[in-house]
Amino acid sequence: MSENRVELLSAFRYVVPAQYEQWFEGLAAEGWHPIKVGQWSSMAMRFVKGTPERYRYVVDLQAVPQKGYKQIYEEFGWEYVGRMSNLYVWRKPYADERPESFSDAENLRARNQRFVWAISFSLIVVAIVATLLTGWIVSHAWDKGQTIPYAVGAALGWGFAIYLGWVMRKIKRSVRNGTM
Amino acid sequence: MNFESAKKRFVPMSETMFYILLSLQQERHGYGIMQHVKEITNDRIVLGAGTIYQSLGKLEKDGLIVPTREADRKKFYASTELGKQILMEEARRIQELHHNVEGLI
Repeated sequence: MSENRVELLSAFRYVVPAQYEQWFEGLAAEGWHPIKVGQWSSMAMRFVKGTPERYRYVVDLQAVPQKGYKQIYEEFGWEYVGRMSNLYVWRKPYADERPESFSDAENLRARNQRFVWAISFSLIVVAIVATLLTGWIVSHAWDKGQTIPYAVGAALGWGFAIYLGWVMRKIKRSVRNGTM
Repeated sequence: MNFESAKKRFVPMSETMFYILLSLQQERHGYGIMQHVKEITNDRIVLGAGTIYQSLGKLEKDGLIVPTREADRKKFYASTELGKQILMEEARRIQELHHNVEGLI
C-alpha cells in the first residue's frame, strides 16, 4: 500500500513564490510528490511517497493565460502539475544546473509583481467587506441577536486582512532582498 | 502603436528582448527562439519558458511581432515592420555605445 500525506494550507504558509517552489522541491527530494493539484489544493494537498527526485518547481500566477501558455512550457520540457485557481504549478527534472523559467530579472520581477497585485486586490476587497460589517454592527449595536453573526464575520474579515497585510510585507521584503 | 510610442517604450531594451526580436527577423516558435539565442550567444543566454512567454506577449500586444501560423501545437511568430524599425533603432544605439567606448578598453 502506498504511503500518503496531506499538507494543509500550503499556499498560505509559503506565500513567497520562491519559498513555495523550494518547499515543493524539498518534498520531492524526500520522495513526496503531489497526487493532484487542483482548485482546493491550497487548502489540502495530497502527496504520495515515491522515488526521491530532483525537480525544479515553478509557480506562476496567470489570471487569463493566452493561448499557447501551456504549449510553451511543455516545449521547454516542463510538466504541468496543476493549478490552484490562477496559480499554475510546473516542474522539471534536472541533474546539474537548476533550470529557470524566468531567466532574466525583468520577467522574474513581472512574475513577482503579479503576486503583489493579486494580494493587494484581495486585501482591498477583504478590508471593504470587514469595514461594511463593522459599520453595520455599530449602527445595530442595540440589536444583540442579529449582531453576533456580523461580528463574527467582521472579526474573520479583519483577521484575514491582517494576514494579507503580513503577506504583502513578507513579499515586499523578499523582493527588496532579492530572495524571491 | 506608432514608431515614436514604440521607441519610447522599447528603446533602450533589455538584452533578452533584443535577442528575442532579433531571432524573430525569421519566423520561429518559442523553443526555436531559445535555441537560436543560445547558439548565437555561445550558450551565455538560455531563455526560460516564462521569460519567452511574457516577452512574446508584450511584443505581440504592442505590434512588434505577429503570430504567423500554428503547427504541431507550436505557435510561430515573426517580426512586423515596426519590430524591424525598433530593432534597427536599438542596433544604432548599441553601435553608438560601442563607438564611444572603443578607446576605453
